[in-house]
Amino acid sequence: MTALAPTTAADTRHPSATPRLTRWLLRLHRPALYVWAGLVIVLSAALLWLGGPLTDAAGAAWEQYNACGEAPTCVYDQPSIIRYKDVYSVTTFAVLTAPFLVAAWAGATLTSRELETGTAQLTWTQSVSPVRWLTVRLAAPAALVAAGTGLLVALHHLAWSAGEGRIRTAKSWSDFPTFYAGGIVTVALALLGLVVGVLVGLLWHRSLPALATSVAATAGAFTLVNLALPHLWPSVTRVTTRTQGAPSGGGLTVEQGILTSTGARLPDPYCGGDVFPDCRATYDGLDAVGYYHDYHPLSHYWPLQLTATALTLAIGALLVFAAFRVLRSRTGGAPRRGRTTAV
Amino acid sequence: MTSSAIEATGLAKTFRRRGGWALRDCTFQLPAGRVCALVGPNGAGKSTLLALAAGLIAPSEGSVTVLGGHPAHVRPRVGFVSQDKPLHPQLTVAETLRMGADLNPDSWDAATAERVVAGGELDLGARVRSLSGGQRTRVALALALAKRPELLLLDEPMAALDPLARHELMGTLMATAAQYGTTIVMSSHVMAELEDSCDHLLLIGDGRVRLSGDTDDLLAAHALITGPARGAAAPADFDLAPHTTVESRVTGRQVTALVRPEGPLPAGWQTRELSLEDLVLAHLRNPAAPPLTLGALPASASPQEATSASAMSQETTA
Amino acid sequence: MIEYRIDRRSGVATYVQIVQQTKQALRMGLLEPGDKLPAAREVVEATAVNPNTVLKAYRELEREGLVEARRGLGTFVRRSLGAAPADSPLRGELAEWAARARAAGLERDDVAALFAAVLDEHFDSTAKEQENR
Repeated sequence: MTALAPTTAADTRHPSATPRLTRWLLRLHRPALYVWAGLVIVLSAALLWLGGPLTDAAGAAWEQYNACGEAPTCVYDQPSIIRYKDVYSVTTFAVLTAPFLVAAWAGATLTSRELETGTAQLTWTQSVSPVRWLTVRLAAPAALVAAGTGLLVALHHLAWSAGEGRIRTAKSWSDFPTFYAGGIVTVALALLGLVVGVLVGLLWHRSLPALATSVAATAGAFTLVNLALPHLWPSVTRVTTRTQGAPSGGGLTVEQGILTSTGARLPDPYCGGDVFPDCRATYDGLDAVGYYHDYHPLSHYWPLQLTATALTLAIGALLVFAAFRVLRSRTGGAPRRGRTTAV
Repeated sequence: MTSSAIEATGLAKTFRRRGGWALRDCTFQLPAGRVCALVGPNGAGKSTLLALAAGLIAPSEGSVTVLGGHPAHVRPRVGFVSQDKPLHPQLTVAETLRMGADLNPDSWDAATAERVVAGGELDLGARVRSLSGGQRTRVALALALAKRPELLLLDEPMAALDPLARHELMGTLMATAAQYGTTIVMSSHVMAELEDSCDHLLLIGDGRVRLSGDTDDLLAAHALITGPARGAAAPADFDLAPHTTVESRVTGRQVTALVRPEGPLPAGWQTRELSLEDLVLAHLRNPAAPPLTLGALPASASPQEATSASAMSQETTA
Repeated sequence: MIEYRIDRRSGVATYVQIVQQTKQALRMGLLEPGDKLPAAREVVEATAVNPNTVLKAYRELEREGLVEARRGLGTFVRRSLGAAPADSPLRGELAEWAARARAAGLERDDVAALFAAVLDEHFDSTAKEQENR
């Protein structure tokens, strides 16, 4: 019976064009893509404005202020200085929220929603394996996130350095928000946020709890990296005598305290210093001869940035591994190829 | 080459959140080329079984082999439409089909996709989110059929369709089976809507296989008989051994029983016409009836039987 | 070309319905030797019945020598059926008989029952024939 002659689809199948998944992922999440692009453009513009005209105006205002010297009245462009400070704070904060935004939205919400509504499963029942789906699901946003946050931290760094030496209230390199918002470690943190979000999205098939969990988890990872940061590179120690007073200023503090005559390190009672008799007695009681200060000078900026980035990426890689493991155990991805009927 | 489209051995699945077994110790074999009705009450484990075969979830115990391989390795050769027909709401119908083409680059048959969609007078430019349930089903089926699968797994495919569309799409499915020898598994909790279209039955209840086999063989293995009650008041008083009784009822002086005959039936009993639906309902009403699996030989036992040749193989039995 | 209509509530097995409708068409002269039966694919697309059911019906017709499958071409009618074409003397006699029955005051159902009873006496019914095999 000719009509029934079965032509198996396998006969006509050519091995094996790759499914064009990336294109459709971008098409499906076009709103997210537009919002991200818009955010990057607006923030970039703000940072260029900050590093250019605003820095110039604030710098000029500080020159006016410095020129006044000891004069009782001084006319200077105070609004420019304030505007610089405000825009600096807002843009810095905005750059720092990028990892959380990415975690919550690109990672958790989009992933969990796809699993929740079954459209992920729809993709898996085309000729796309879950592993491939997850690979694209991580790689495509990762590229966009890296490009976007990379641009933002670079512009932030430029804007910050433009103010150096010109604006007296400009933040130090070791200021927490400044260090992160203008550093490459934030790019890594945003990527980590993405991975955290995707992993949480895979674990929770409901978008709202996934969103909350991913933000919390990203905050946790951020905290972890920040706690580890001072210890990622050998610090420099500065020692001062009691008469010189506690060392002040400069760099990222790792640890500080008092030194005894035997060289032992003790926590500083912070009683005010040798000028106060009570404090002097306390120091004598502790056998204190001076102060020590372990810190990172400006020259450690790049080593710290790079090691923190490496640490963040290492955590991210572990979580990527975990995400694939979770997916495989859920979907029963086969451990080995070519397993056939055993019976 | 194996003659099984699906072969399950001790297959079981538990869901941590819901607790309990969704599927338990399922062993059956579906020969290639069959159109199989997967029937059972709601919550019996039909969707779980289909998702396992589609490689969407992993079994808790046992294993399932699909088209001779692990479900994860045969994705391009298997089509699946899940019960809630997930589609991307933001895409248009035309975009959805283009996506199907891009995600199934080896096997996409655009003409089939367009034909299935065209039957519903669907606007190709309409967004999926604006479609009715029946129209979504049509688009989901178009995606699955245009992939030209060797095995098509359909979870409650006809639920959202009006009678006309149901008849038309069932016709399309049958034509696909006829033309390409596609194995089709369709789940439903209503046997009647599948009775004419299927030649194989897999009945599951409470997560276990109750009946499995070609419908002709299953019907032949059962008999609906009536006879005198001879004073017996309750079915329990009745022993039809050595025949296996699936269900028996006493009405007045008459006993009606569905049995699996083991040899000639007792004299004085009359055989009545038995439909597939009668068979299914009797088994659902009597969970204690022993399960019956027909023709579930190990794949190695019948290597000479070619794939998709079920249509031909019946020639010898007719 | 014959078009099959499947009545799901008739209680008659689907493949038997296809056999009966084909025979009816042969009797009525709607199908003649050399005519092609619709391809199984066309039948199942129109009726939504299982392909094997159609094949089973076609094989049954082939077994009875009414049709033959030609490889690669399709299934063709071999011989027509029924010594009683529409205008034969037998039909005339039956028409006369029906008129007499009506004149005797029989209802349509009475006539049908009578006819069926006589039919059963003289011929095996197709359905029974299938079942016994």
